Parts: sequence; structure tokens; C-alpha cells
Amino acid sequence: MEIQEFPLWAKMEERKSLFSFTLEITARCNNDCRHCYINLPPGDQHARSRELTLEEINELADQAVELGALWVLISGGEPLLREDFPEIYLLLKRKGLFVSVFTNATLVNEEHIALFRKYPPRDIEVTVYGATAESYERVTQKPGSFAAFTKGLDLLFENGVNVRLKAVVMRSNFKELPVIAEFCRARTKDYFRFDPQLHMRFDRNEERNMLIRSERLTPEEIVALDRADGERFSSLQKECQTLIDSAVGHVGCDHLFHCALGQGECTISYDGTFRLCSSLWAPGTVYDLREGSLRHAWEEFVPKVLDMRSRRPEYQENCHNCTLIDFCLWCPAHAHLETGELDVPIEYFCRVAHARAEAIQS
Amino acid sequence: MELTLDMICIPSEDIVARVIEDELVIVPLTAGIGDADDELYTMNETGKAIWLHLDGGTSLRTIVEELTAEFNATSEVIAEDVLGLVAELVQKKIVVVQ
Repeated sequence: MEIQEFPLWAKMEERKSLFSFTLEITARCNNDCRHCYINLPPGDQHARSRELTLEEINELADQAVELGALWVLISGGEPLLREDFPEIYLLLKRKGLFVSVFTNATLVNEEHIALFRKYPPRDIEVTVYGATAESYERVTQKPGSFAAFTKGLDLLFENGVNVRLKAVVMRSNFKELPVIAEFCRARTKDYFRFDPQLHMRFDRNEERNMLIRSERLTPEEIVALDRADGERFSSLQKECQTLIDSAVGHVGCDHLFHCALGQGECTISYDGTFRLCSSLWAPGTVYDLREGSLRHAWEEFVPKVLDMRSRRPEYQENCHNCTLIDFCLWCPAHAHLETGELDVPIEYFCRVAHARAEAIQS
Repeated sequence: MELTLDMICIPSEDIVARVIEDELVIVPLTAGIGDADDELYTMNETGKAIWLHLDGGTSLRTIVEELTAEFNATSEVIAEDVLGLVAELVQKKIVVVQ
């Protein structure tokens, strides 16, 4: 039975239980991807010293399981950078959790393969930054990373590990997207997914944010990518009206959050910070699990965040009443990453959403 | 191997059994349990009652006697349910015969 089809899900949803969580076990990464919102250097001692210990992860996993969690996504940074990754992985499996892993695959070795073969993950998700060394390493900024990536990926596939591939598209690789799609389709039967929208960094590092901005595609380029993939385009057309219709319900309400925030999922940062979603880092919306408990965060803190409101005219007159809001990358979390405020419109997102909607509805 | 009421069966060490929202959920830990590695098993009330008696200390016959005292059904019907469920769980390697 697929987790999504699990009948208990409806009961858990009704009781607002915690169903799944993302555990970012490190913010460090051996790659230095130009678009990345989190990566810190692999040798960053400050970041390393703040990482949750194995014992802390064990305690948090116990708390999550007690709240009913059934699925955990191990993410980063690059999770395999942690020498105790096998212990963390096995610890979570032994709690009765389904475990997924996000990795760039460059550090996959025989020990990981033996672990995944004996204790299978639900899936391993790998992002493909390029299908050639030139484009891949233009993104990762690490010579030799493409060879390490293909070696790791081959090891996973040859050993029957359930791997899912996806792509992130940016200026450095978008001309190669058809080749990336071919690379992915040749290896898995999954629907080829790519994300053309980049958001800013969690630490609001301006130097890195400038790099991310320089990698963003124009609205016209994103629309062209949508149109070039027939399957994706027809899927967008199918879903578009639902997303646009759902926005009607926001009118007359001054709540900030209208997404699925707090509905069964949360994220735990490498340093034990509780977040309601992977993009929400704004002060006042995060909770230090080293000073409290996951139950308190979930049951007492989350409702307070969900009750946050805005009467800022700029927001009320634009994003809040926009029928494209659920179709747009804009959300309070991304607004904060861009501007430091939760309720400020973002012109780039606005232009992308309108261009895509116009293309889809035409 | 045919399952008999004289056998003692216990949950495999290769699964994790959890109770979530009063439902029994069985999560495979290792490869080769059940039909797929990402498969999830739940049980109805009867199944859950049988599972909770698989403590390793009692034979299936004793479990049938205990369940007959708990439920409004004959021992023959209960025995059929117990053997049927446990045989399926043994086949899926969720339960092992001691």
C-alpha cells in the first residue's frame, strides 16, 4: 500500500497529527551549487559544531514517532557528508519510519549500498544538474563532481536501490534541459520533473543571493520550457484552473498562510530549529527544539504561526487578492527570504506567474 | 511447512510494529518482507487482537483459547482466523515460527 493511500492518513489529517518530517542533518555540502539555498562549505566548523548529534536525533525521532510520524526525509546540505549517516539512517528505520533520502549521489560508496540493500529506503532522490561534466560542474562549481555523481548513481541503480531523479533548471544548464531529460528518462520510468524557479537562501547571504538571481530564468524562458514539454504543459493546464479557483477563498481574511502549512508535515534544521516548511525561516515562525519539545512545537507553537495575519495594504491589494496566488511561487516564506518581510509582493514571482498563467489559459 | 495450533509464533525482528491512532501498523525494516519494500500493513480489529497475543510465550492453541474467551465466536471459527492470518504473516516473513 502506498503511504498516500494509507486509510489512517484521513484520521491523522482530521486530528492534525504529524505525519511526516524532513530532517536536515547538515547544512554543509561537498558541492557548491550556484542556486542552492542552504549549502555551506564542507569544512565549515561553526555549522558542523551546531549539527544535531546522533543522540539528539534519536530523541527527536522518538518524539516524532510518538506524535504519529510515519515518514522521514533525510536531507541537507549533503547528508552523506556526515560520517555517522549510516547510524542516523538505521536509527530512523528502527523507529518504524519509512525513510527517504535526498542526496547528490557523489559520495555514495559500497557501505551505503550495503546499508540500502539490507534496509531499503522508501526512495533516494537525486537532482541532476547537468548531463555532461561541463554543465553539471558549471552548476556545482566542483571539478570532478560529474564523474563522482555518475559513479554514485550507477552504484545505486546497479544494486536495485529505488532512485528517483529530478532536475533544477537555471541559466547555467537550461539549454541542456532536453539532454538532462533524456539522461533521466533513460534511467527511470518516472515522470521527468524539473523546477525552473529558484528561491533565495535561508541565511540571506547577499553575495550568494546575487548568484541565485543571476541564475534565474526570465518568465518568457520559463514559459518556453513549460511549452516544450507536452506532458508537463498539459498537466499544468489541467491543474491550473483548480489552483486559480482555490484562491477565491482568501478574500475577506487577513491570515498570512493559506497553504498546507502545519498540515501533517514539518522540517527540522541541522541545528534543531523547528520550521513549518523547508522555506520558512522567518523569526517568530521558528522554534528551537533544543530548548523545547517537538510536541510543544507541533501542538502549541504551530497554531500561533498559522494565526499570523497581515493588513499591509501592499499585500492586501496585490498577492492576497490575486487569483494566481496558489499558482505563484510567492508565499510568506519566500517573501521573507527575498525581502526580510513576510507580506511583501515579489515582482519576479508575479511576472512568472502571470506569464505562465497566460500561456496555459491561452 | 504447515502451520499447526501447537506452534509458537512471534513477530519477526525484521519489522517494526507500531500503534498509531489505535491502528496497528507494520513497517518492514529489511528487504524481502511482504511484497514490496515500501509496503505498509495494517490490520482489522480481529487481526490486531491476534497480533497482540503473539508474544512468544504462548502457542497458537493458547491464543485461540484466550480469544475465544474474549470474543463472541466459537473456538473453531477463531482457530480458522488465527491460522489463516498467521500463515499469511509467516509467508510474508512478518511473523516467524519459533
